[in-house]
Amino acid sequence: MASARPTPFDACHAAVPATLLAGTALLSMLSVQPVYVALSLAGALTFSLVARGGRATLRGLRWQLPLLALVCLANPFFSASGSTLLLKVGPRSVYAESLAYGATMGALMVAVALWLEGAAAVLTQDRLLALSPRRARSLPLVASMASQLLPQMLSRARTMRATASACTAAGARLGLRDELVRTSTMLLAWSLEDSVERADSMRARGWESGRPRTCYRPERVRGCDAAALAGIVALLALCAWCTWETCSGWRFYPRMSDLGPWWRYLPWAVLAALPATLSLASSRDGGGGPRGRA
Amino acid sequence: MGALEYDRVSFSYAGASAPVLRDASLSVGEGEFCLLVGATGSGKSTLLRLAKPEISPGGERFGSVRVHGEDVRALDPVASARAVGYVFQSPDAQVVCDTVWHELAFGLENLGVPEAEMRRRVAECCNFLGIEPWFRARTAQLSGGQRQVLALASALVMRPRLLLLDEPTSMLDPLAEKRFLGLLFRANRELGLTVVVATHSPAAMVEYATRALELSGGSVREVPLEGLSERPLAAPAPRADARVPAAPALSARDVWYRYDREGGWVLRELDLEVGEGEVRALVGSNGCGKSTLLSVAAGVLRPARGRVRNRLGASQALLPQSPRALLSRETVLDELTEWSRTGGYARAEVDAALGRMGLADAPDRHPYDLSGGQQHLLALEKLLLVHPRLLLLDEPTKGLDRAARERLAERLASARDDGATVLLATHDMGFVRAVADRVSLMFDGAIAATEPTGEFFATSWLWG
Repeated sequence: MASARPTPFDACHAAVPATLLAGTALLSMLSVQPVYVALSLAGALTFSLVARGGRATLRGLRWQLPLLALVCLANPFFSASGSTLLLKVGPRSVYAESLAYGATMGALMVAVALWLEGAAAVLTQDRLLALSPRRARSLPLVASMASQLLPQMLSRARTMRATASACTAAGARLGLRDELVRTSTMLLAWSLEDSVERADSMRARGWESGRPRTCYRPERVRGCDAAALAGIVALLALCAWCTWETCSGWRFYPRMSDLGPWWRYLPWAVLAALPATLSLASSRDGGGGPRGRA
Repeated sequence: MGALEYDRVSFSYAGASAPVLRDASLSVGEGEFCLLVGATGSGKSTLLRLAKPEISPGGERFGSVRVHGEDVRALDPVASARAVGYVFQSPDAQVVCDTVWHELAFGLENLGVPEAEMRRRVAECCNFLGIEPWFRARTAQLSGGQRQVLALASALVMRPRLLLLDEPTSMLDPLAEKRFLGLLFRANRELGLTVVVATHSPAAMVEYATRALELSGGSVREVPLEGLSERPLAAPAPRADARVPAAPALSARDVWYRYDREGGWVLRELDLEVGEGEVRALVGSNGCGKSTLLSVAAGVLRPARGRVRNRLGASQALLPQSPRALLSRETVLDELTEWSRTGGYARAEVDAALGRMGLADAPDRHPYDLSGGQQHLLALEKLLLVHPRLLLLDEPTKGLDRAARERLAERLASARDDGATVLLATHDMGFVRAVADRVSLMFDGAIAATEPTGEFFATSWLWG
């Protein structure tokens, strides 16, 4: 039997991880400052390890770390600014500030990618779509049908090509262009035929009945969800203020500014650590969380 | 007052020369489990659909159809959805949503049922059908059998008093079919639901049904249930000498295969030898690796370990589970002539194939306008026209009625007599008995036993 794998945050309403992770990713993108970026990267990496597992995270890092190194090393050659000369490569000067800016931007990109990958693991498509507003009740349906169509078409195209290549008695295979035309025509006909039966299946169950559609919500916002949301929004606001205060005075060039008071980083450190901490806490509860869902 | 009544109903499709239904009359009582049988293309689906105005076919209709005493033409979509549930044939095409819970709630959402009431109905339906373990699964993850149970649940959750099913098990393997019919029977007996099932293979349903009606020549008549039980297929007997020739046409040695590195092995330590001119059946439960073995034998998949030798690889043909993966033309005639130039066959052979399928007078029909079984036959005839030396068939009898299975068995025996080697994967043991020389039982990705057909069934605990 197919069953849904337990995921972090499955014991709370989808709005809680959506707000937390969207807010964290957004603030990460706006906080171009080495300490904030380092904290974000550490938090994102830990969260990815917890939510996606070591193997998936390492697989991602195989392209993310080279990207980080590339941005870090390439930046001095595009922006030869700064005051601390490290070395000269031909006519180009490499400054520590320029290198730091490249490393910060590279790390920022990797951190945001990790946050988004972690969010995708936690917020499955149906949970995200359930957050759509009441006025757009058909939107989840359209999105879910579209999301089913593409993998189905790809799978069918593979079967068609495999069948064609297996039928050697029919003579030489078609050229690439003819094969593509044949496959796409067959896919279109197959999908259209399916859509006729699917439309009948929808109408047989009252689709376009003229009644206002109601909405089955698999998750309900409860008191603890509302409290968690309020806490997360407050923490995000505090982080935004601290980030603004720090980043508005921060300069990479010509010389990097002072880091400022340590306590301005504290809310951000808490925010970056929160997704992984909450995920670990929910897994200690047994994966399903402290309370059941509808 | 019957649950479903047809009074002298005639129906013609727009532009058709002859009516599909002619003065068809029937009455199904409340709580009955009624089978509607008839040959492929006899109009069973048309008859059922006329009881659901929102999916009724376009055409000219006479006579009246009443559900619980009310003319269906007076039913609006909401009343119709509440009164009559409908389950379609294809497990894939009728699923609308991407999650099980959303699929169950879809109809109730359309009817504007309040959320609290929806929760209750969904919960009760899941309890009744045992869906709770996969309630939160994605529909794409479900097996064909689970999808069809979901389709049943999606109809039952709206609490209709009458349930119409159009060939609901024709795409299922025997195990999934039994599970589905068991649930349907419970719905009939425990919930008092009136059930009408259109089917061309009624044998598996006879033990559940209370009566049977046959649609023939456009009219309906009562038939005894006893006459619908399974009987052996009339087909050429397997050859007496089923020894494997010294030089096998196809051999596999210690073959291992898996679809991705994280996945488990689908084939493991698999050894197989198929002799030239032999008809070999691969049997075994779903997921044991039958289809994968066919793809490996065809050279479509490359084994991770081991070796496959196919002496007939230059003249082979593969029939996939879904014939639509092979059908690419606008008409039946074009389909059959597609490979005539490269395959070296003439129009006379095409005409003979059309005749065998009973489509000699309809060569211009679109292949998709044929029934599922006819599409299977068309795909097979297309393959046979190029005279392959090796035929690889994946579930060739899926969706075929008894007469078509017998015709197919004859065609395979004829191909074998012409020297073709056949390797077929199937759940249809009646067909295996009729056509196979030897049977290989697959289990856990390997061949558990290979025996001559007679010996296999004589010693089998399960199928003997």
